[in-house]
Amino acid sequence: MVSIDLAELSVREANAQLRTLGEAGEEVEILNPDARHHIGVGLTAPINVNVQGSAGYFCAGLTDQARFQVSHNVGWGVGDNMYSGSVVVGGNAGAIPGVAIRGAEIVIKGNMGSRAGQVMKAGTLCCAGNANFMAGYMMYGGRIIILGDSGERVGEDMSSGEIFVAGSVQDLGSDAMLTDVDSKELQSVYEFLDRYGIKAPKGFSKIVNAGKKLRYGTPETPMRSIPFNTFSGDSTYWNPKIQEDITVKAQSGRYRIRGYGGARPLPHLSDIGFRKDLTQAGDDRDVVSKVRMATEIGGINGARPLKISMPVMIAPMSYGALSRSTKYAIAMGSAMAGIAENTGEGGMSDAQRDAAGQLIFQCLGGRLGWNIHDMRRADALEIYISQGAKPGLGGQLMAKKVTPELAEIRGIPSGIDLRSPSRHPDILGADDLVIKVEEFREATGYEVPVSVKLGAGRIRDDIKIAAKDGFDFVELDGMQGSTGAGSAEVIDNVGIPTLPAIIEAIEALEEIDARDNIQLVVMGGLRDGVDAVKALCLGADAVAFGTSVIVAGGCISCMQCHIGQCVTGIATQDPEHEKRYQPEVEASNIHRFLESVRWQIAAITRGLGYDDVASLNRDDLVALTREAADITGLPYEPPMAEAVQGQMGVSS
Amino acid sequence: MCGIAGVMYRGSDATFGTGEALIRMLDGCQHRGPDSTGFALYAPEASGRLKLRFFIDPESETDSDVAIAEIRQRLVDLGAGIEEEARAGDNYRVTILYDGDVQKLSYEMKHAAKVISIGTSLDIVKDVGSAYDVDDRYHVNQFHGTHGLGHVRLATESDVKPEASHPFWATGFADVAIVHNGQITNYWKMRRRLEQREFEFTTDNDSELIAVYLADKLAQGVKLQDALSTSIDDLDGTFSFLVSTGDEIGYAKDRLAAKPMIMYEDDDLVAIASEEVSLNRLFPGKALNTREPAPGTYATWSRSI
Repeated sequence: MVSIDLAELSVREANAQLRTLGEAGEEVEILNPDARHHIGVGLTAPINVNVQGSAGYFCAGLTDQARFQVSHNVGWGVGDNMYSGSVVVGGNAGAIPGVAIRGAEIVIKGNMGSRAGQVMKAGTLCCAGNANFMAGYMMYGGRIIILGDSGERVGEDMSSGEIFVAGSVQDLGSDAMLTDVDSKELQSVYEFLDRYGIKAPKGFSKIVNAGKKLRYGTPETPMRSIPFNTFSGDSTYWNPKIQEDITVKAQSGRYRIRGYGGARPLPHLSDIGFRKDLTQAGDDRDVVSKVRMATEIGGINGARPLKISMPVMIAPMSYGALSRSTKYAIAMGSAMAGIAENTGEGGMSDAQRDAAGQLIFQCLGGRLGWNIHDMRRADALEIYISQGAKPGLGGQLMAKKVTPELAEIRGIPSGIDLRSPSRHPDILGADDLVIKVEEFREATGYEVPVSVKLGAGRIRDDIKIAAKDGFDFVELDGMQGSTGAGSAEVIDNVGIPTLPAIIEAIEALEEIDARDNIQLVVMGGLRDGVDAVKALCLGADAVAFGTSVIVAGGCISCMQCHIGQCVTGIATQDPEHEKRYQPEVEASNIHRFLESVRWQIAAITRGLGYDDVASLNRDDLVALTREAADITGLPYEPPMAEAVQGQMGVSS
Repeated sequence: MCGIAGVMYRGSDATFGTGEALIRMLDGCQHRGPDSTGFALYAPEASGRLKLRFFIDPESETDSDVAIAEIRQRLVDLGAGIEEEARAGDNYRVTILYDGDVQKLSYEMKHAAKVISIGTSLDIVKDVGSAYDVDDRYHVNQFHGTHGLGHVRLATESDVKPEASHPFWATGFADVAIVHNGQITNYWKMRRRLEQREFEFTTDNDSELIAVYLADKLAQGVKLQDALSTSIDDLDGTFSFLVSTGDEIGYAKDRLAAKPMIMYEDDDLVAIASEEVSLNRLFPGKALNTREPAPGTYATWSRSI
């Protein structure tokens, strides 16, 4: 038994020692824990860890195989996302014990706080005392055993799994119901209790999902597809878009869900132009070699930065919304171009990991596909707070797309209309967020950059929080961003457009003198290298492309992403449809598109008189509309508008 | 966005190191709010006397002299006798003999200067920086008394300024202070109701609203615990807050349990904080039998007299 004394060492030092001791197979006791956070985070060795006293937040979080004993209390989120292994807590547990566990056994001898087992996928959470309110909130699987009483709204919006309560059940949550306990299950519960030396009560009430909210009553009707240019309509009040919308709602009787981005005119990067005449900028065929474009993102706080060949990344898009083949093609295409790919919500596949040169791993509120092993092999981690297409809302993945294979990687039941939670269980404010960021850093030894994805809403506040909470970079997504499925009302009516979002973000950082404390990656309806350069001039450190990459890789913009029967094999999980997609071919197409972006960035940068993209600045821009001038504070120079139209052969 | 702490020692001699205790507790949860730190400290009351504390602009010595002269003049005009005064950090602190209407005095002074607190026993010390930074400037560690509250803040919706930091004093009422973690979403509705009854506010901060809401109830003779009970019904949003008066401290927690709060009680004291790590700062190396208040609950503790 090796002792680690937290009166002598910081938690960071202790966790580093724990990992080494874990590899050596040593048993460890932790002395003077004094309720400090993150004890044991990221340990992936089958050792025993005895905490002599109380632990703080996320004790044993993001671990696999280790067996923890805590003699006294634990704070929020004990055993967060734990795979196998166990935690036995002698005293009480704070809120969200066993959050997002994927197989671990967690035993609380005392009482446990609210939202126990939130978004858990598998494993057992057992509480010998009473549970506070909303135990089993949004659980996707596994089992919760409560020997005392349970608080209000047990099993609120659980989609699978079982909750056994020996004491009184105060009331049931939405879409939860009481059911009979069969003898086999009871036997299994008794065996579990026996294994942990807990006296078994006589009987249990069992709570499961009632199945009334797992699927929409009526599926979204596939309609005659209207191409994007038609769909977007124009100034006509009753246009084909409105007509289609009404027809669909006349069938479904609810709000519409659709894929793709906003389809209404908004102020955008096309409303600003370059001050200089760039008509000659494209003449030099060798311009790419003459402009420094290599960019590092994420290294400002000492983590290993992403090293991208130009200030461009792939925007986060999930395996789930997109097919495995598509994610594979994007990974290959991004590697060919020397830029970074992003997993989006749905977890990381081996093929994607191997193909992508650099891969950002995204963590969402449902913790779908999230785990310590993939965190370790990621090049950056990203906490998703919201996205430009639907700020404040969770994801929607229709049943058609929730195949057994996809369900497996996400750790959820297959065939449900998956509505990913819009909030993280353990991030209810900037104060919790800082503790979460620290947990990720502990889990990865402070080596991997941590970013935050923000949909443009309350940008000024959000961006300041991002800087204060110590993120390495922020991915800011404007209203023109797309989604695989979202409410059409929200896509078109909620959010802040990308152009004012960039301006407000930069202003906010300057207000608190923090422009150098965090890097800014901008996305949301950026189409090409011209848009990229404009965003860079306005102050972005890099940009990200989503839709244009999908289009480069074969998307025909039919806007039926949510249905799951994408004819190109992109936005589908149907193997027959996916067969049509040729990842190698599309990877080359994506790569060629990215090279065109590179050329545009180089040519414009050179045309503006620089040899380094870092030199791009606001003074290179003018506003082409009064509205854009108001938004950006750039000089309104309408005569430039005409000249700009001809620039670069791109309709800007 | 913040961390909160409160402590009340049992016993009546008021020689407990409440300042030091709160410094340690706040240092323990400084990660929750690195921008500013504040303390509401209670000393035994001196009868017929009021303690007032003001922010004075640190930029210019002349301006601050003018500001202090104006405060003094106003006080004299209101019939107050100035008994003791001092500059401390960016504060001007004055003890007055006053037997008039405290609300009138508060509003008059609020219009003339940046009032931090008014009380017979309350003194609020708050500024930008960490618990130890603020202690360096204001010597909070030398403060003794029976009880007090503390707050660390991560500024989100307003600026990092001393006057935007917490705790908040219930503008217009002596001795009521609050520390709050969360966000009151029916803030404007509640504020308009109080403003219709001619209460004034110094800031747009939702914590000040809670303080005034509770102080108003107390002034009407409602017991603190009953005022806390109605606050859970009347306030909408996420909150875990602590309130203190000259004789009591109490907490209330919203029904969503979105904001953490944990407490420890023994024969010598009751201590409440956002996180157990703060409580442990009072008892290094000791595993504590703590308790997490349930959602939608409240409780109060009284000072031994």
